[in-house]
Amino acid sequence: MIWAIGGGKGGTGKSFITSSMGTYLAQKGRKTILLDADLGGANLHTFFGLTRPRYSLTDFFDKKVALQDISVQSGIANLDLITGSIGSLDSESINHGQKQKLFRHIRALDADHIIIDLGAGTHINTLDTFLLADRMIVVTAPEVTALENMYHFIKSAYFRKLKFIFKAYDLTTSIQETWKNRATYDIHNLKDLIIHLKQSSDRVRDIFDREMSGFVVHIVLNQVRTPRDILVGENLKSVCMNFLGLPVVYAGYARFDEAVLKNINSKEPFMLSNRLSPVATEIKALAENIIAGTHISVRKDVANGSLS
Amino acid sequence: MEAFLKYFDLLELSQEAGIEDVRKNYDYLKNLYSGDSIEIAALNTDFSPELRQEYLARLDDAHEKLTQLLENKKPAVAQNTVRMDDELCDWIANIACFSGAALKSIRERMVVDLKDMFTTTRIQLQYLEDIENEVFESFRAEVYLRSYLVEYTRFLSLDTPRVLADYLPRYRAWAASRTTPAGMPHL
Repeated sequence: MIWAIGGGKGGTGKSFITSSMGTYLAQKGRKTILLDADLGGANLHTFFGLTRPRYSLTDFFDKKVALQDISVQSGIANLDLITGSIGSLDSESINHGQKQKLFRHIRALDADHIIIDLGAGTHINTLDTFLLADRMIVVTAPEVTALENMYHFIKSAYFRKLKFIFKAYDLTTSIQETWKNRATYDIHNLKDLIIHLKQSSDRVRDIFDREMSGFVVHIVLNQVRTPRDILVGENLKSVCMNFLGLPVVYAGYARFDEAVLKNINSKEPFMLSNRLSPVATEIKALAENIIAGTHISVRKDVANGSLS
Repeated sequence: MEAFLKYFDLLELSQEAGIEDVRKNYDYLKNLYSGDSIEIAALNTDFSPELRQEYLARLDDAHEKLTQLLENKKPAVAQNTVRMDDELCDWIANIACFSGAALKSIRERMVVDLKDMFTTTRIQLQYLEDIENEVFESFRAEVYLRSYLVEYTRFLSLDTPRVLADYLPRYRAWAASRTTPAGMPHL
């Protein structure tokens, strides 16, 4: 199963969540490979105390080494790492052919779980990698800027996906026509457009239902500090459906904990040295929710009090 | 009547939801979308003031309509409630199948006219007759039939859940029999 972790904004904890979920899955005995696709600022290896990985994606792109062969051991049983390369490569410099080759190799990797840590931003290479995954995950934080970037990221991924579908089914022209005359049909946004298209033709409806049924984004809320913050994820389910027309699953949250920062700075895998931490429990819960595609259950009427 | 499905949808509820769920989800959504929480503020242009106004108005409307639909409406006038003697009670208790015909005979034994029922419940005579004759085509979705049946049974002081549990499966079987079994696209 391929997991992709994006979210638009930097600093929300994508790499922390990636490394911790990976550690959890590996400890459960699942063969897991983490792939650092943050081609601009890759440092997933630092979470495992590796300073200079022997190989990186540069070797894959430049020296034509197979992807399977550039994975390095993380120091944790069942967990391997394919590292990006700091600075030497950015997503701008990968061409279409290289990208397709990378995707082919990712699909061919021998592992139970492949977790791809995407960089910040909404570059088309980032979006395409996101869409490649069986589990599309966004990590965000209860801050307005993080949520803005997250909405933008999800919408961009959705647009990208639609573009592929339009192209594959030769719908682009007719949809552009509809959009041009949107005032006539009382269409204001993407959601209206989709509803209109689905109503206008059974064929288009079937295509959308078939192709978009798998488009579900799993939300992970990181750096949660109050019970009100936990509710943000719950509210996002309603907001994304109502105003973006997109189904999202609230997979879970991880609270803010100074211990996480200390561990990152001392380059120790968090899940190994903090087995009893509530954060570790939360990571396990959200990983299981992502595998099963289930929601975390949050009581909507709990908004006061403190995290226990 | 088909609007009720839309109302349930707007309140993010299934059509089995009760009045308590309607109130809870209404409060939750109203609170979420009228406030300025970060998850709303981050939407920016995707949630313009006009859109907010329009959404909140629809929310109010849905809440009002569903509350009316589900509210435990007591018959308005006391003498409209039917008095049952013990013999009648025993007879009803022994009814095994609340078919439309059974309901009709219960009503007739209680000497209740459908017009009286209409006066209180405001359910069209045609629908009341269709319930008794089991003319299922008249009810476009179970939710309508269900709400009429609730009113009907309340008017006759019958055990509503018991009647529903007996009556509705026949409607469902009928509804299921007229959809194509396989390959039917989900709407």
